[in-house]
Amino acid sequence: MSELSEDRIAAYAAARLPGARDVVVHSLARISGGASRETYRLRLRYVDADGHPVERPLILRRDPPASLIETERHIEFAAYKAFHGSAVPVPEMLWLEEDSAPLDYPFFVAEELTGFESSPTALLTEAFDPVRKRLGHRKWTILGEISRADPKALGLTEVMEAPAPDACWKRELDYWEGVLDEDEVTPQPIIRAAIRWLRANPPPPAQKISVVHGDYRTGNFLYDAAGEIHGILDWEMAHLGDPLEDLGWGINRVWCWGHNDLRGGLLPREEAIAAWERASGLKADPAALHWWELFNCVKGQGIWVSGAKAWSDGENRDPILIISAWRMFNPQDRAALELMGRL
Amino acid sequence: MKPDPDAVLGYLAGMMVQSIAPQVQPAYLAGAIGMSGMLLGMLVEEWDRAADRLARENRAIRTLFRQAERVSLDQDLAQELRALAGGEDDDLRVSALESANTGLRAALIRLQAAIEDQAEATARALNDAIWAELSASTRRRALASDMF
Repeated sequence: MSELSEDRIAAYAAARLPGARDVVVHSLARISGGASRETYRLRLRYVDADGHPVERPLILRRDPPASLIETERHIEFAAYKAFHGSAVPVPEMLWLEEDSAPLDYPFFVAEELTGFESSPTALLTEAFDPVRKRLGHRKWTILGEISRADPKALGLTEVMEAPAPDACWKRELDYWEGVLDEDEVTPQPIIRAAIRWLRANPPPPAQKISVVHGDYRTGNFLYDAAGEIHGILDWEMAHLGDPLEDLGWGINRVWCWGHNDLRGGLLPREEAIAAWERASGLKADPAALHWWELFNCVKGQGIWVSGAKAWSDGENRDPILIISAWRMFNPQDRAALELMGRL
Repeated sequence: MKPDPDAVLGYLAGMMVQSIAPQVQPAYLAGAIGMSGMLLGMLVEEWDRAADRLARENRAIRTLFRQAERVSLDQDLAQELRALAGGEDDDLRVSALESANTGLRAALIRLQAAIEDQAEATARALNDAIWAELSASTRRRALASDMF
């Protein structure tokens, strides 16, 4: 993996800023947390075409050789752009570069939302006791807004395939079972039993085709001490499908960061579902949601084994891949057991 | 080995997370060192119990395979399970136990898939026993840091 330099990024930015002069990049630093792409923070300074000085904090996300999840950057970029300025807060996207020539691998550049927290464990401190519930309601209300949005009106049907409402479940299950077939580093009897049950008991058709964020969980949004959310991040698994997929992922037991029953470390399960229903105008049919919750255990295990495989094969030695595997394999199995009434 | 490896790993984990990582720049490397410390902390838990955990699990799965003698199975699968049920963990190195465990759990998947829809009482009892062992296996594998 080649190192990025401030000069190379500045040269790229200058080409993307017609009329700009004195383009400088400074304070470039790689930051943690990008399990699917390398993430860098930088400052871009220039004088614009009207002669005004500009300084912007930016984030650059560059493809790695291998990652926790294999995703298409143009889809992630499109999802961010679609929601910018809406009730779903996201950072502004600036440039998408799919050519490897400028910085060795494809990348995109976005506005950095500064001064906010994203850590799930920071939420467990006493300082957040007064706002934890409010934050939980904001979290599932925003997910409701994502579910309620019209993918066609957002222009996302241009870049994402819209499945038929009765095909959502099979497409997702086929995909993640395929990931397990390909990447499994050790047999998974619990998850394989879950897959057999899911195939034998398919859910009803999706009540609508929604934008599915794909990784909507605590840790993937920016929040402040007042309990407000300022940015929904990590859209790399975004697709169109059944909105219950996102709800089932967000309330998955493995995200009970406080070692209690608060989903996402924020709200009781039923309260989270009610907040989502109010905002989305949709219903979380209990049997259908149960299917999607169990499916998300399969998906989760697929993500963890992909990371473990990438590390084991030497494609990517980032320790986050081992942390994810060691820390998540067993809770994910236990979550599946609980949902199947076998814990 | 003396000092005990788990004590050494625990000390190194604490040093990496609490003393070294906060001093390191850039932040990405500090994060990588902190995560490496966390991994050592997990190894501390696994070091002492790994062989015991795997030996218990392998024994439990072989017991299930012996129970499978009483249910109706495809001939090839029945033969495979009979052979695995008669195995023993002579080599107690973790790598050898893990290798045996991989084979046993793969066969356990095939066994459960074959019997879970059978209506006979013996098959249902075996299926329940498999679920009980799978649940027990997650308790054996649990780490203190597990969220669930």
